[in-house]
Amino acid sequence: MRFPDVAPARRALLLRVIAAAALAIGYADLIRGGTTLAPLLLVAGYAILVPAVILAW
Amino acid sequence: MVKPPVHMPAPRPSYGIAAVVGAAVLALYLATLAPTTAMWDASEYITAAYTLGIPHPPGNPFFVLLGRVATLVPIGSVAMRVNALAAVCSAFSAAIWFLVAERVLISWSELRWPRIAAACIAALLGACAFTVWNQSVVNEKVYTVSLAFFAIVSWLTVLWCDDPDGPFADKLIVVIGYLIGLGYTNHPAGLLVGPAVATAVIVRRPRMLMRWRLILATTLALGAGLTPFAFEPIRAAWHPALNEGEPTGCADRIGVGCTFSKTTVTRLMANINRDQYGKPDLSVRQAPFGAQMGMWWLYFKWQWLRDAGESSPRTQSILAMGFLLLGVLGGFTHWRYDGLSFWFFGPLVVTVTVALVYYMNFKYGHSQSPELTDVAREVRDRDYFYLWSFSTWSVWAALGLASLWKMAAERLELPETRRWAVTFPIMFIGLIPLATNWRDASRAGETATREWAHDLLNSVEPYGVLVTLGDNDTFPLWYAQEVEGVRQDVTVAVTSLLGTDWFARGLRRRAQVPYDAKLGPKVYRDGTWPMPTQPVFSLSSAELDAVPDYIDVRTPQVFQHETLRAIVDPRQLEYGVVTRGDLLVLQLLKDNFGKRPVYVARTSGNYVRAMGLEPYAVVQGLAVKIAGAPVVASSNLLPMPGSGHIDAARSRALWGSFGGPAAIIHRGDWVDRASIGIPLLYIATAVSLKEVLTSVAATQEAAQVELTARQLATAARLTEIFNP
Repeated sequence: MRFPDVAPARRALLLRVIAAAALAIGYADLIRGGTTLAPLLLVAGYAILVPAVILAW
Repeated sequence: MVKPPVHMPAPRPSYGIAAVVGAAVLALYLATLAPTTAMWDASEYITAAYTLGIPHPPGNPFFVLLGRVATLVPIGSVAMRVNALAAVCSAFSAAIWFLVAERVLISWSELRWPRIAAACIAALLGACAFTVWNQSVVNEKVYTVSLAFFAIVSWLTVLWCDDPDGPFADKLIVVIGYLIGLGYTNHPAGLLVGPAVATAVIVRRPRMLMRWRLILATTLALGAGLTPFAFEPIRAAWHPALNEGEPTGCADRIGVGCTFSKTTVTRLMANINRDQYGKPDLSVRQAPFGAQMGMWWLYFKWQWLRDAGESSPRTQSILAMGFLLLGVLGGFTHWRYDGLSFWFFGPLVVTVTVALVYYMNFKYGHSQSPELTDVAREVRDRDYFYLWSFSTWSVWAALGLASLWKMAAERLELPETRRWAVTFPIMFIGLIPLATNWRDASRAGETATREWAHDLLNSVEPYGVLVTLGDNDTFPLWYAQEVEGVRQDVTVAVTSLLGTDWFARGLRRRAQVPYDAKLGPKVYRDGTWPMPTQPVFSLSSAELDAVPDYIDVRTPQVFQHETLRAIVDPRQLEYGVVTRGDLLVLQLLKDNFGKRPVYVARTSGNYVRAMGLEPYAVVQGLAVKIAGAPVVASSNLLPMPGSGHIDAARSRALWGSFGGPAAIIHRGDWVDRASIGIPLLYIATAVSLKEVLTSVAATQEAAQVELTARQLATAARLTEIFNP
């Protein structure tokens, strides 16, 4: 019973870390003038990862 | 027959079939997709996406990011990729409307296949409503992305309504809040779905409003959804090719101090709040509310049969009345069979219809009540603002059809499945717009705007400054220059934006791009074109900012610079005074005298004359060159009443290189009448050229040019020019 309880929490945490990293790196690239990686990461972060984080909370 | 309870457990939604429906709609859109740019804002948004720039306020940061990602997909041209984004968003919405309709119809029939069939019709009807279809095959606006936001929020709300106390209910509410915020960063219309969500919550679970932690979490999520606005000052500080509103305090390069400055905050908020447009207070109606609803009704009629040629007004009205009544019946059907989601969808329909009409507060529509000659009108038809209204109404119209189908089926004394099957053809009514709108909604093979942009830019000599006046003689040029790399040596100065502070600063900052003779038209290949080294404005940014909005003089004023002496008559100018834009045009003439040729696009009406420049005007193709001294007629410079003189040799050579006429003739129609000035200008150019050719006895060439003019008139439905 322990594994199913813990794994979703870890998955949720991992998801939060990935979402935060995507947005942080996306904005960092945007600040340095990036026009390819920044939009890819920001769209992935805002459109997919953040909603996923909320649903997995 | 016993009516099933409203609260019966919902079976699993048919996600697989929804995906197939979405794919079918996408296939339809791709088959009718514009291969390149189009008139109005399409070019601006494609350019913004490609350059990761800032389009007109509020700047649409999430759209720009999404659009940029679309441009990275290595299929087709850049324009096609952005157009396909619109198609994907609308197809996604169609799939969601399928799910919503299927959900509504759960207790409507015990058989699954009639529910699936009716839901398919709902999705198709919404996808083929004229404005939805027409806006989904070219990315003219950001509204198809908004439609996708509406659809996903709708579906999440339906799921929440099904189980407001379930384990996911609170998370759904928080996600909905987040998506509403994110939708706002695509376009402020993203908020329109909010009242419908609030109504659903109040009706379904009013005590939820007392749960302050959930309310706080939802508010925070909504705030998180708004954070893409941070994109604007960051990207603006890099001064991309398109940097409307310039929402940054950084003059040269990005920095912490200038980004976190009062100037940045002021400019960003001005952008987000769309201060540039200065719309009147809602209490000051720009047209009577009845007329504004009349505008909606005009566009509603277009949805089921666009009839751009106005050949079937009676059929159009009958269809509109039919689909209006079907929608009313569908609303009732929705309430009867799925009261839970009705209290979301009903308020959504009202919000995007009546409330939006009130909020937008438009003047009379461009095509509305043509018999009224003394009313203020919108510069174009704005049916696209009601795309969400027509899309959601279509779902109800399909539910209305389903209701008729059920009534017909229940009258037959046949086995259950058979009677549904026999009466199914009633649902074919929902396919009418697919057939009736195909010709006018399709943008397949439509290349005229791209060709127009090339033709206008090529009418300007290397390193020229081209003064333009509005959207359609400006945005396509931005697209051609920044996306296709065509004639980037030309500086495009649009008078309407010269009235803002940021546009003049941007022109001053713009680096001169070298002219590539190999890519330019033949007519300039033998010339010598030294590249100017100075910016187009000699004034500093601060001096440009200090140019007043207008000078309140009403009498003719003399402008003199070296051999140029113009008598500017404010009474002939648009606003009756000399505006900042006019002053900066004169400044451009002064600063570029002898360095860069200055042109005015021939779409400008009588602007050249109003500015007192007619004695210096030389028509070259689609533009007017302002000569350095009064023009003297010669064998090549022939008088052209009202327009100065025409450069016969140059115009003849340019006409031979134009791609616009063939593109218009090939399309065979010009649906958008608000931009009819473009084909009209080609016809006027051809008629002038024909006279020139006749005067030099080039009769065969003159006849060919006249034939093209007549073909253009036929294609654009302007034959009255030749047959008054």
